[in-house]
Amino acid sequence: MKRLIYITLATTTMSFSAAYKVPEQSVNSMALGAAYIAHTMGADSAYYNPASMSFMDESSYAEGSLTLVHLPPIKYDLISPYSGKSKVENIAIPNFHYVSKPYGNIRWGLSTTTPAGLSKRWESPYQKLYAQEFTLRNVEINPSISYKVSDNFSIAGGLRVIYSEGKVYSDGSDASYPIKREMRGDTIEFGYNLALLYKAPQNINIAVTYRSNVDLNEKGDANLYLGDIGEQYKADVSIPIPAALNIAISKTWNDTFTLEFVYERTFWSKYKTLDFNYSPDITNPILSDAFDTPIEKNWKDTNTFRLGATYQLDKLTLMCGFAIDKTPIPDKTIGFELPDSDAKIYSAGFKYQQTNNLSWGIAILYDHKDKRKIPAGVADNRVLRNGGEFSEGGALLTTIGVSYKF
Amino acid sequence: MRFNGFVVIVASLLMIGCSSLDKPDSTKMEGGELVVSLDGKFIKKSLLDKKVSGITQDTVVYGQKAYKIPYTTTDEEGNEVQVSGYMVVPTGLPDALIDAKGFSVVSDDHGTIFHNNETLSVIASLTNTPSGSSIILSSLAGFVTLQPDYIGFGDSVDHYHPFVLKKSLANATVDFIKAAREFAKNNDIHLNDQLFITGYSEGGYAALATLQKIEQEHIDMPITLATPMAGPYDLNLTAFGVLSQEKLSEPSFMADVAYAYANAYSHPYDDIINEPYASKLSSLFDGTKYMEEIDKELTYKTTGDDGLFASVFVYDFANNADNWFRKALVENSLQRWNPQTSIRLLHCKGDDIIPYEMSVWTKANLDAYGAKDTQIISIEDALGLPYEVGHSQCGILAYSLSSHIFANIRKSTIGY
Repeated sequence: MKRLIYITLATTTMSFSAAYKVPEQSVNSMALGAAYIAHTMGADSAYYNPASMSFMDESSYAEGSLTLVHLPPIKYDLISPYSGKSKVENIAIPNFHYVSKPYGNIRWGLSTTTPAGLSKRWESPYQKLYAQEFTLRNVEINPSISYKVSDNFSIAGGLRVIYSEGKVYSDGSDASYPIKREMRGDTIEFGYNLALLYKAPQNINIAVTYRSNVDLNEKGDANLYLGDIGEQYKADVSIPIPAALNIAISKTWNDTFTLEFVYERTFWSKYKTLDFNYSPDITNPILSDAFDTPIEKNWKDTNTFRLGATYQLDKLTLMCGFAIDKTPIPDKTIGFELPDSDAKIYSAGFKYQQTNNLSWGIAILYDHKDKRKIPAGVADNRVLRNGGEFSEGGALLTTIGVSYKF
Repeated sequence: MRFNGFVVIVASLLMIGCSSLDKPDSTKMEGGELVVSLDGKFIKKSLLDKKVSGITQDTVVYGQKAYKIPYTTTDEEGNEVQVSGYMVVPTGLPDALIDAKGFSVVSDDHGTIFHNNETLSVIASLTNTPSGSSIILSSLAGFVTLQPDYIGFGDSVDHYHPFVLKKSLANATVDFIKAAREFAKNNDIHLNDQLFITGYSEGGYAALATLQKIEQEHIDMPITLATPMAGPYDLNLTAFGVLSQEKLSEPSFMADVAYAYANAYSHPYDDIINEPYASKLSSLFDGTKYMEEIDKELTYKTTGDDGLFASVFVYDFANNADNWFRKALVENSLQRWNPQTSIRLLHCKGDDIIPYEMSVWTKANLDAYGAKDTQIISIEDALGLPYEVGHSQCGILAYSLSSHIFANIRKSTIGY
């Protein structure tokens, strides 16, 4: 029973960073807006930069956190009856990180995270036709190992094991299209991650990390309906968790104040089409047209710029961050399953050293999504082709976590 | 150890799959299967999108629940055959009206098809969408439409199709009307006793054959009106006409007649059809090919050494009154009987496949035998068209006119 509860929490769904990738996976990363690559401080180093494990003291580190995500509704305005509002999402996401004691120059770590996720549910007629519910749940187990090459340089690599569940429901019955899709699938996929850290003189850290692309080939069943007649098919669809390259530099002054800048390049251009496949073939031309036609995505690679500041007091560590996050989704291929827009991310938090071994912290992050106006005649989606504007949305995240050193 | 426990927990995540999806509710019903269920709004939108003539925003369009119903009939040889039929029930009419009056029924025999995928119940099973004349008869006129797949299509695709063989076509139709009434009774579909019979082309022939069977075998199935449309009622006359032509416009039709009659009357195919075509007949008419594909495999030349029909056979057919094919065609023609039910023979004057004169000739014969009330209606004249219409284009007009005639009778008798 406990395991089931854990699953429910762990394979969590959300979408608050650009598109559906989720960079923030611990108290520190949340407080710093994921400007947390070159100067990592705890067990979450196993995830953010495993190369930095080499420079941690000789203890073992463990950390657990729980993030509460509040996703306000996204509004779409055109004219009645095409306007609509998505549902509010409230989600809890747990994360765990561990870093082992060193074994010579080698050290290993393990993280369980939610590297990507998406949940968008609409109740309004024309939005439901495309995305009554579009959910992608993931949990990643990421063991990693670091090797200390020298006193100021370390490299690391890890294996990404991702379990994913997808759920796609569409229902056109309220929009005079008596078609409906219910699809569920899941998959286990693999990838890798690489990292290096160079500790330059004058307390400057330079880091590079790379997380590989992982294609989530969700396989399962789909029920497709025309009117009241439904049939079950085997179905699959592939959605990428894109590769990401982070280049980061941090500078610490007087062992007290650290500023970190991260440039992140996310290779969203891997996402070319959303193509559902069914077996046996769909013989119904209406259902085939609605559900078996590949949907062009042609997303663009994006740049994200993150800045984080850490102020270390006696027992208290104060942190804040800011990031500019671009959406990868062009106007032409935007859809109701993910009406994303450019965002500015503001974050803050603290950690308190309760005992020599135990610390705890709280972080908060606000993801402000820009309004997005869709020009008429551009989008492929039959409703969005008429234009309109997405507004509101965004995300508010609160993370509490406990770290233990032993 | 604590950490090992942690590893076990997280590793167990990998063992958990998402819950499976329940299959959609079964569409099986007592004695049949629901294959189409769409509301009138969607059907109307589809008709408007396709710019179907006469359909406007103000047109009342009913929804459809359509069923594939398996039943048993009898073939030419007297054997029982498991066949299927297609029953369309309009939806969206006031419940109180149907509870009080019930649905009037139209038995509609479909025209010539070759590929099993052209069968109405098969189309509906594959696409879950309405097609064919039921859109006119059920969605626009509010009748329950009954369409037998015939022997040779649908559930009996392994059997040869008795093309223009009246006994089995009539059996398939009469048995389906009985099966559909039973299905309706078992599934709370309220039918009244009003029954119309219609059909176009081969279906026109089948409709008249059905009426003949009902009357001559005294089957308790009162028919309000029959409107056979553009059928080859006199097969002997039709065959003479076709075989005297140098070229066949669509060799598939006459080859199918030869194939069906050779099977039904136990004659070798090559008695009628030249090789290499005779050897191909079984594979051409097994329900896996469309007319265009069949025509490509045959010759358009009617007879001669390189023609479709054997010269000896054609000569004998033309000159020997005892020729088996000639006798079989006469036996299957629908000229010599005295129908007591009212009949309206609907036909387009511009019919280029089955000439309008076929209906004129049939009425004259039926009248001569003592028909009670048989009339011919020129579809162009009835609809006030200033031009003549060919066989293919005439179908939709014929069904529109027929449903209009039925609806008027229903209004004056049943009251809606």
